[in-house]
Amino acid sequence: MKVKNLLESTDFYLISDNSGIKNEVNGIYSCDLLSHVMGFASEKNILITVLNNINVLGVASLLDLSCVIFSHKIQVNEAIIIKSNELNIPLIGTKLTTSETVISLYNLGVPN
Amino acid sequence: MEPFARDYNIEKHDLTNAGTIASLTKRELKKRGLTRDFIKKVTIGIYEAEINVVIHSYGGIAAISITDDSIEVTFTDKGPGINSIDDAMMAGFSTASSLAIENGFGAGMGLPNIKAVSDKMVLTSSKEGTRLYLKFDISSDNYES
Ligand SMILES: Nc1ncnc2c1ncn2[C@@H]1O[C@H](COP(=O)(O)OP(=O)(O)OP(=O)(O)O)[C@@H](O)[C@H]1O
Ligand SMILES: [Mg+2]
Repeated sequence: MKVKNLLESTDFYLISDNSGIKNEVNGIYSCDLLSHVMGFASEKNILITVLNNINVLGVASLLDLSCVIFSHKIQVNEAIIIKSNELNIPLIGTKLTTSETVISLYNLGVPN
Repeated sequence: MEPFARDYNIEKHDLTNAGTIASLTKRELKKRGLTRDFIKKVTIGIYEAEINVVIHSYGGIAAISITDDSIEVTFTDKGPGINSIDDAMMAGFSTASSLAIENGFGAGMGLPNIKAVSDKMVLTSSKEGTRLYLKFDISSDNYES
């Protein structure tokens, strides 16, 4: 499964450009505290967060995560979007809550 | 491969550059043919230590040395030091400032994460500063075949 497959669902929209949408997806991790993400997320995981912050991308890149989903319709700033395009880590938005996002991804068949 | 040694400055509260040392080290370890799992471990340790100097100290330096057998990193900062190392090592213990919390830090998981991923960790501290020495042993299994 790839990031672009998530975008087939109407729940999700792409915030960044197309770079990285072919990244492989192999699981879900959700937390808004970066040391938890650092300690527990695995390579190719989708990160779901409300943490609207450039350090999210730093961590996502160090861990080789597949993409970042901002739940609760979080509006991210331009600097984060630019960084995401640079790092090939797509940013995806959704109006769903974090827990609804997990369920929606599960229904799409994201393995975990 | 040639040994690799670098010193980096870490500025107080410089959250935009935080993670640079971890990211440069990750690149160097990739070049040396180490496995993804091994690189992940080292990256976590260095990232957490680097962030701690940024958010909790007045700034400092990181000295990294990589050989075929090990990675050694020493973080030395200019204070204000850690009150109780026993407390600091506890999962969930944090004195993070509101700036750090707004940026996603302050879970109190950094030092426990570092402990979990490193083969040796020596943390010493006084009001003049904190020193964190980390060692990651490299065995032949840690190289991609
Ligand atoms: N270099 C340092 N200088 C001063 N205090 C430090 C330093 N490193 C750690 N500490 C103290 O130890 C505590 C625990 O550190 P730890 O990295 O485990 O958690 P944290 O940094 O608060 O949160 P997290 O790492 O989960 O984002 C810190 O809150 C701080 O009080
Ligand atoms: Mg920390």
